[in-house]
Amino acid sequence: MSDEQKWAGTTYGNDWMHRWLIRMLRYVDTRVFYLFVAVFVIPVCLFLNPSSGICYRYFHRRIGYGRLKSSWMTYVNHCLFGQVVIDKFAMYAGKKFDIEIENFDALLRLVTKKEGFVQMSAHVGNYEIAGYTLPIQNKRLNALVFAGEKASVMRNRDRMFADTNIHMIAIRQDMSHLFEIERALADGDIVSMPADRIFGSQKFIEHDFLGAKARFPLGPFSVATMRELDVLTVNVMKTSLRSYKIYVTPLHYDKTATRKEQIRQLSLSYASELEKRVRQYPTQWYNYFEFWKND
Amino acid sequence: MEQLINDLKLQIKEALNLEELTVEDFDENAPLFGEDGIGLDSIDILELIVLLEKQYGIRLSNPKEGKAIFQSVKTIAEYVQANRKK
Repeated sequence: MSDEQKWAGTTYGNDWMHRWLIRMLRYVDTRVFYLFVAVFVIPVCLFLNPSSGICYRYFHRRIGYGRLKSSWMTYVNHCLFGQVVIDKFAMYAGKKFDIEIENFDALLRLVTKKEGFVQMSAHVGNYEIAGYTLPIQNKRLNALVFAGEKASVMRNRDRMFADTNIHMIAIRQDMSHLFEIERALADGDIVSMPADRIFGSQKFIEHDFLGAKARFPLGPFSVATMRELDVLTVNVMKTSLRSYKIYVTPLHYDKTATRKEQIRQLSLSYASELEKRVRQYPTQWYNYFEFWKND
Repeated sequence: MEQLINDLKLQIKEALNLEELTVEDFDENAPLFGEDGIGLDSIDILELIVLLEKQYGIRLSNPKEGKAIFQSVKTIAEYVQANRKK
């Protein structure tokens, strides 16, 4: 696996910086931080970080922009990524955002069922906002997160989720997360996991995605079809400085088909929905690793 | 025990889609994980956890226990024989 493909799974900065940022965000408008990041942080990051090349190739080869526009969009993309990280900390600091939810009924229908279901996310927009926003009462939502995340982020997530039905399952070397996933689904709960990045198991399934073959992790689709569970995808996209739109989309597959075919259909449904959302919001793709096989 | 081992081989082969492996070639003492054995990985463990629940009514919840159980088909069979509920 190349350096670009390795990912620490953590938010940038140290614990002290995060605490300072949260404190400042209680008093200072987020736009001040947006501006600071856009002018002083992102230009430096673009030079030092290999993600800029990956991002440029995404705009140039997959979205089809020219060289100049791809360079500019790479900068815009990183600025937006900076903004969604700031927004996350702004929420920790108690700031509110305007949230619009599309197709919330689809989520409510599954929540009222006895069986558990799988909620798939992607590295687009700001998924964490969904956790703080979607009012899910009847079921416990178990979100798969990277165990290596910074202590300040985990502490604030714990605090934000203290009075909610949300539980975090950390991916660990001892594979205890697999037992937790299985228990949660057997108990009729929700398990939320990203389905656009290969980590842990190296098994994958290929689909055409934005005009080229891309590798999707087999794990999430395998987990969902093991018990023939319902699946939906939730993408949270930034629509303005202070607002987000949450897209809830049920994913379909033939539960009577063979297991292999179920996985193929479900992953294809996921890839199609993700492509639709990425084409709608091309600058909010934050999957900074070599996603396409031949790029 | 021999019947249970054969059943498990078939169930594991089907659940994990191990098309290239015949039941005869499936050594019950071979390690299931790592390069020296069948080469299963983390997502396959989850498949095996579900398989034990669906086929034998066994619900595993202790990861430490899981490591010992999933060493080979034989260790799974021994655990199933001692703990099966159906």
